[in-house]
Amino acid sequence: MSSLSGAIPFPATKDGTRARTRVDHRNSEEAALVRRVQARDEMAFREIVERYQAKVFSIIYGILRNRNDAEDIAQQVFAKIYFSIRNFDFRSSLLTWIYKITVNECYDYLRKKRVRKLVYESDFSAEDAQRMEASDPAVDPKTPVDVRLAQRDLIVKLLSKVSEQDRSLILLKEVNGHSVEELAAMTGLNENTIKVKLFRTRQKLLKAASRLTRVRTTAN
Amino acid sequence: MHRLVRDHIEDIVAGVESASVTAHLKACAECQSDVTAMRAQSAALRELRAANDAEPRPGFYARVMERIEAQGPASIWSLFIESAFGRRIAVASLALALLLGVYVISSERAVDQPIVAGQQAQPAVVVGEDAPGRVITQMSGNQSSNDDVLVNLVTYQEQ
Repeated sequence: MSSLSGAIPFPATKDGTRARTRVDHRNSEEAALVRRVQARDEMAFREIVERYQAKVFSIIYGILRNRNDAEDIAQQVFAKIYFSIRNFDFRSSLLTWIYKITVNECYDYLRKKRVRKLVYESDFSAEDAQRMEASDPAVDPKTPVDVRLAQRDLIVKLLSKVSEQDRSLILLKEVNGHSVEELAAMTGLNENTIKVKLFRTRQKLLKAASRLTRVRTTAN
Repeated sequence: MHRLVRDHIEDIVAGVESASVTAHLKACAECQSDVTAMRAQSAALRELRAANDAEPRPGFYARVMERIEAQGPASIWSLFIESAFGRRIAVASLALALLLGVYVISSERAVDQPIVAGQQAQPAVVVGEDAPGRVITQMSGNQSSNDDVLVNLVTYQEQ
């Protein structure tokens, strides 16, 4: 793959102007909720937990594929949110902030446990296999589950090679299905920056994959 | 990768291709190979999607609150105790403080006795007496001849 020079001249967006999506995260209904939590309003915190628990859990479960670990890490994510919400500065949406904490917690967990093989036979039941088969219609269902698991493990490993921000962004795009416009609104970055970041992350992942393949070939 | 492809890569990996992109991909093997790799990568990323029913067990909020109560407000010391990086910083700071302490103590001693120590280390040696009361001395070690002259002048006694 050809390398890119410093600044990539990505085109303007569909309407012909350079998009600068600025969403005021300070004056939303969500911001009011955050301020209540910052003032230690427990009901507001409960609302945040109930609003985001499914999303947080599914992000973690998507990466780890283990319900017990997902539950444990989801609890830790909300505990972290509770203790650090005072530092939330409204530069991004609350979801983006929570997403970043969630993905970081997953990778901290993987680092601490030094999990090389993410899915063990004991963790992965027939029920999980069925869930995985049904999880995404975009993925070719003809691909055997073990091949898909190997691909999944590889991509989790590759994601650890890119920065936190790049990782969150590509996951929000590919896993949560947010559009470039939505990502711009969520992060406060403009659409072209989002496109450049996504493209560079894709390139980094491909480079990391080819490096890993070379290492494995050399080792064998 | 050709700019046309690069500019529309998000659409392309999502399976949306304009006629111009399709035509370019047919003609350019390099771009086609890159797009194939990025599409495969995108499919692998989508494998991380959890099933729609992935939700925590009932009573999740109560368990979160239990954990929060168990953890309590994080103290400043927990930064150093709980994280490996914090522990490294703490050890490095202690080592630095120790080194500074040793340096300060040793430099204070050096300030107290700088000249005396030099004189004691290399005393003048009496080598003879050419006349009563007139002592001839020679400096030991690597002191300069200027020092020899000074010592002789100091010890000179008129007959």
